Amino acid sequence: MSARGSVPKVEAADVTPRRRAGLSRDLIFTLIFAGLLLFAPTLLRALFGQASVSYLSLGIRAVALAVLALSWDLVARTGQLSLAHAAFYGAGAYTTAILLKNFDAPLWLGLPLGGIVAGVLALGLGAVTLRLYGIYFAIATLAFTEVVKAVVQELPTAIAGGTAGVNVAPLFRPTFVPGEMERWEIAFLRNQNYFYLYAGLLVVAILVSVLVQRSRLRSAFTAIRTNEFVASVMGVNPARNKLLGFVISSAIVGVLGALEAHRLGSVIPEGAFAVHTTVLALVTPIFGGLYTTIGPLLAAGFLSGIEETLKRSLAEGYLIVYGAVLVISILFMPRGLVGLFDRVTNRRRREGEERP
Amino acid sequence: MSADLAVRELNKSFGGLQAVSDLSFDVNEGEIFAIIGPNGAGKTTTLNLLSGLLTPTSGSIKLRGEEIAQLPPYRRCHLGLGRAFQVVQPFPEMTVAQNVLVGAQFGERGVSGAEAGRRAAEALERTAMGALKDTPVEDLNLLQEKRLEIARALATAPQVLLLDEVMAGLRPAEAKQAVELVRSVRDDGVTVVFIEHVMPVVRDLADRVLVMDYGRELATGSYAEVTADPKVVEAYLGESEED
Repeated sequence: MSARGSVPKVEAADVTPRRRAGLSRDLIFTLIFAGLLLFAPTLLRALFGQASVSYLSLGIRAVALAVLALSWDLVARTGQLSLAHAAFYGAGAYTTAILLKNFDAPLWLGLPLGGIVAGVLALGLGAVTLRLYGIYFAIATLAFTEVVKAVVQELPTAIAGGTAGVNVAPLFRPTFVPGEMERWEIAFLRNQNYFYLYAGLLVVAILVSVLVQRSRLRSAFTAIRTNEFVASVMGVNPARNKLLGFVISSAIVGVLGALEAHRLGSVIPEGAFAVHTTVLALVTPIFGGLYTTIGPLLAAGFLSGIEETLKRSLAEGYLIVYGAVLVISILFMPRGLVGLFDRVTNRRRREGEERP
Repeated sequence: MSADLAVRELNKSFGGLQAVSDLSFDVNEGEIFAIIGPNGAGKTTTLNLLSGLLTPTSGSIKLRGEEIAQLPPYRRCHLGLGRAFQVVQPFPEMTVAQNVLVGAQFGERGVSGAEAGRRAAEALERTAMGALKDTPVEDLNLLQEKRLEIARALATAPQVLLLDEVMAGLRPAEAKQAVELVRSVRDDGVTVVFIEHVMPVVRDLADRVLVMDYGRELATGSYAEVTADPKVVEAYLGESEED
């Protein structure tokens, strides 16, 4: 182990990951992707005319799923299985609903406030439960969802609407100009505006994911995930890092919940705190490839597309086929879509090398 | 020479079992200090108490004058305590360099990215792991894993380095290299505390030796002193020579 003459000298630059280069590449991709999102509504309209309204709805759902998946993956990177994403989604939705119903608040205040309320709830829950390991944390978060739902249901009906829920005002009311536009264009404009809002949130979620991936937080998160004790002995503060991932993730989901409340026009406890939301939040990144930015993104697009196709061709019972597709893909692609692409490109590379 | 590590009346019990009892010792600055003793004597428990994986039932641990007995492991690391594990535990999914970088980035507070890179590179070079920096840790052999274990600990810039049986499982020639490495680390001003079963290594390396048995201090002194102590011979050396 002594320094021998043949040992090559290691430079600091050889060890530090090419973070800056990687980061600027990721930022350029994000910018291109944001540009595509910006032109998507116009493009859809030019291509499909009236049908673009429903394509935009599909687009909104896909973007919402991507936001949910990306934010859940942030928590997963620290080795925690959160089953509370429905709680934060619902908290965001109810924040804006209760705010508009009970106070003379500006229409848009609920969006940032929804994120803040969800983040604060996550801070409280995380401070108490992130010391728990693995399955115990997961159970605590699942229980938390039920508790928040019960509390919202039991609030006085005048405040939170009880089990019947609350109506939420839409964020956009495009006005119909007879003679200058057609009826469907109202729906198109409405969807277009929502699409831009959702896309904006998605870009934020992508940026957060990329920045975590290209900073020393990645080191800390991965170390904690793979061996928390050793990480701690090497100077990483496990509780603080886990809490950081959890709070950021939950705040993003809170904003998403608030957006959805406005778009859908109402919130009810069964919908806002549906276990379904939590299931989607974890299935999508697993399907796409955990601990990556591209995996959850790809999976959200892919799964939304499959779901829509199945819904149109099968109507009843499409969920059974959809479920089967999920189970089979996860069984055969343990590292998700990202792992599948890696395998294909590696094989091609290897074949390329074999040729003289 | 002042004491880098001052342990006073340290106790740790697991239920009814007293794993460490009334243990007191000082490790001086720049010293190589060995803890030996039969299996189950409480050596690894002591090291876990020092690095913070276990919290003592009672007693005091001072690192360069600062009380650390109740601090979590990462705080102790920030204060200058490094640790290499007996059972090597590299982070999977990472390369050798990424493993070492974790220690360099978080071992001390306020280390810049460039400085962390420098520290990691230095730790890799010292442990002759430079050529393997991009190797996934799954592909390392035992000696390389042990070197990585030490490299990671060194990257945290420790003032006191705890080594838990780093020689175990190494061939004699490899152990000799490891001994040289530990010595060179000390020569750079790092205080070393190590647990070891291989007696020639203890003889070659240790300035002073603490012999433990049943969680207690049996004797402390130079290698020659403790091996001449009848209590030690009875409890430990006599037994191991019969093996």
